[in-house]
Amino acid sequence: MSERPTTDVTAPVGNTVTTSRAQRFWARYSSTSPIVLTVLALLLGLAIGAVIIMVTSPAVLNAWRSSFHHPGSLPSAVKISFDNVGAAYRAMITGSVIDPTLLFHSLSSGQGWDQTMTPISETLTYATPLVIISIGVGISFQTGIFNIGANGQAILGGIGGVAAGSLIHAPSVIHLPLTLVAGMIGGAIGGLVPGALKALTGAHEVIVTLMFNYVCNALLIYSVTSTALQLPNQSNGISRTIDSTATLNPIFGVNSGLRVSYGIFVAAAVVVFATWFLKRSSLGFDFRVTGANPNAARASGINPKFIVIAVFLVSGGLAGLAGEVQMASTTYNIDGGFLIGSAGIGFTAITIALLGRLQPIGIVWGALLFAALGVGGRTMQAATGLPLDLATIIQSIVVLFVASPVLIKEIFRLRSSAETFQMATKGWSS
Amino acid sequence: MTTIDAAPVTVPGVSAVRAPLGRRRVIGGLTIVLGLFIVGVFGLGSAGNAHSVVTFNPTNTSASVPWSLGALTVLTRWWNVVLGLLTVAIGVETWVRRPAGALARFGAGGALFFFALLLWSVRQPGPAPIGNINLTSVLVNSSALIMVLIYGSLSGVLCERSGVVNIAIEGQFIGGAVAGAMVDSITNSFWLAAVAGLVIGALVGWLLALLAVRYLADQIIIGVVIVTLMGSISSYLNIQVLAPYPNLNVGNLPSNVPIPVLAKIPVLGPVFFNENMFFYAAIALVALTSFGLFRTRWGLRVRSVGEHPKAAESVGINVARVRYSTVMMGGAVAGLGGVAFIATQGQFQPGITSGYGYIALAAMIFGKWKPSGAVMASIIFGLSGYMVQNLQSSAVPINTEFVTMIPYVITIAVVAGLIGRVRPPAADGIPYKRD
Repeated sequence: MSERPTTDVTAPVGNTVTTSRAQRFWARYSSTSPIVLTVLALLLGLAIGAVIIMVTSPAVLNAWRSSFHHPGSLPSAVKISFDNVGAAYRAMITGSVIDPTLLFHSLSSGQGWDQTMTPISETLTYATPLVIISIGVGISFQTGIFNIGANGQAILGGIGGVAAGSLIHAPSVIHLPLTLVAGMIGGAIGGLVPGALKALTGAHEVIVTLMFNYVCNALLIYSVTSTALQLPNQSNGISRTIDSTATLNPIFGVNSGLRVSYGIFVAAAVVVFATWFLKRSSLGFDFRVTGANPNAARASGINPKFIVIAVFLVSGGLAGLAGEVQMASTTYNIDGGFLIGSAGIGFTAITIALLGRLQPIGIVWGALLFAALGVGGRTMQAATGLPLDLATIIQSIVVLFVASPVLIKEIFRLRSSAETFQMATKGWSS
Repeated sequence: MTTIDAAPVTVPGVSAVRAPLGRRRVIGGLTIVLGLFIVGVFGLGSAGNAHSVVTFNPTNTSASVPWSLGALTVLTRWWNVVLGLLTVAIGVETWVRRPAGALARFGAGGALFFFALLLWSVRQPGPAPIGNINLTSVLVNSSALIMVLIYGSLSGVLCERSGVVNIAIEGQFIGGAVAGAMVDSITNSFWLAAVAGLVIGALVGWLLALLAVRYLADQIIIGVVIVTLMGSISSYLNIQVLAPYPNLNVGNLPSNVPIPVLAKIPVLGPVFFNENMFFYAAIALVALTSFGLFRTRWGLRVRSVGEHPKAAESVGINVARVRYSTVMMGGAVAGLGGVAFIATQGQFQPGITSGYGYIALAAMIFGKWKPSGAVMASIIFGLSGYMVQNLQSSAVPINTEFVTMIPYVITIAVVAGLIGRVRPPAADGIPYKRD
């Protein structure tokens, strides 16, 4: 703690004279910085998740029922409630970050590091495509374009990757970049359709991309049963496996059991590229200007139609790359259920992009958080029997709060600061 | 073709920016293409001696037909050629005369296409008819889907007329379906299930309105997230509550309520007058919404809030209150649609709504933000949706994936203005902030 007097710019001047250091600390951190808002949103999400666990766990409900008959057992009911919630969240953390007992074992004996590091490896594996696709979505949002179709674009990217990875045979140096590019091209084609339609006819991108997701799902089913891509001698819809020269291999080797792959370097490259692109490149500048004020952008000579198409190419290309990385680092092939989960990676990407406030670095943190919730949810399911969907519930609640910062401010009685994040809003007609 | 020139558009909701004559000509051209497709693929594409058998007696015998209709056995090729030529003729007429009812003619062409597809899909080589298609049961079964889409698109119409984009229709469906399944299983009453669906739907609508109207959050994002939230909650409840307690999810089906006399009309009777109460409620809601929105003071207020909230505010209308109430109403309608899912499919399963909320959204846009249009779009989407399932089961040598795409591609074409322009309410999706 430095003794330097803090000048709190956000606090009213009259207050700073009489406040203690603790109060000044509170004043600073109760102002609505993005990080504070996100952390509070996460806490709210976890709290609501805890309530859901309590009201749906038979053990908890039974404990409370008996406490109505025997008031003396009330403390034990409270304890059982918190034990259930605690067990669930503990499993979530040990399954996604690190298990202290395993860590202690590894530290003391120098062995079993593979097992100790598995949770982190899994989280990174899940986060890798999420980072890439969310950055793509974030770039489109920054330009004021709502790309809801990242899921379909990622699927097309996966199809492109499988096609290039299994039908073309080449040494790894050529083959791996080729499949990555093929994934990008697949996604970019998926982005070109809504982009071109918006630029040429003014069709609203939200409804076009929503519908195009279903078209892509159908294309996926078609492609995994087509003669070109289907695994030979298979009646099920499953694609060929890509050549080993096109896979993103585990960094620590297959024998370690750690799945984290060279895909994280692809994701890192995307983060660096996106940061440079948005901050330094002239096209990125045009994107941001268009997003901030479309009229000013048009007046200054930026061609809005070109921007729309370019945004969809970049955003779709990144989504396609994400689908390709997902395929090339985990399953090495695709089937009819590729990326079509309960929520879908494209919709998760929207929430992560919001959580990261559309900035590449923020998105990395958001993707890590969501991947940890997802991976930890799996461990929680195994340990406590609570459904994995709890993770998705928490994710959705967090994003609902992040998307409406005014609500968090009201709940925690925060003062507003100049830096308030709110998505640009528009209707169907724009 | 400069002899006839454009009268100004009179169809409300169609922007006058694009010349309507060109649009009608495009529609005529599309109808011609449709007809040629029927002739080429469904007609000449089938073997010369192939037969199709169409039957009409309802499989559900609860509505006892006073007279039974015989099976109609037709030569697939020549019937489809005739149907195709008929479609071409309609298209040519639309192309040349460019009549006001161009879209209706396109719809007629679509109906012919649908019938030709049915004939083609059940064709049997040789004179011995084996498989057949029951036209009545096709229509009855697709009416279940159409009904659900009507609920969803009506919900969308209500919300968006008041200026709030309701992408969360799917979420309201899911909420209504879970609540409906549980309440019906406990009370064995679909009336109470309907009430539960209405309440849950309204609650989800309230959440949307709260975040969109009061906290000015982006409605598209909020809608997408609410769908994810409701989907995961329903999946969670299914594993944690419904699976261990199967008596909470028994999967009753409501009995049909035949309307006397009318239910005995062949084909039409089983489709329209021997349905469950949710079907009749959907029809009533369409009439009610249409009348309410366009003929009452309440409707005028809702529409004014959706078109120009500032002007509405200046004449003393409470914009936020109107939006809250309308969005909750719309949510309730979609929640009822969720119960209708249960009423047609029985037990609740996660993913039971399988994206129909989004299709309902598309139907609403296709229907130009009008209840009547939404119904027409729901019929088209419902029929093609049913055809997809039907084609998949009858192993037709056509890529069913491409049939799957039809509703979505139609929607994209509509939004892109290829088949007529649509114009949303002016303030749709824009939060209103009082100065």
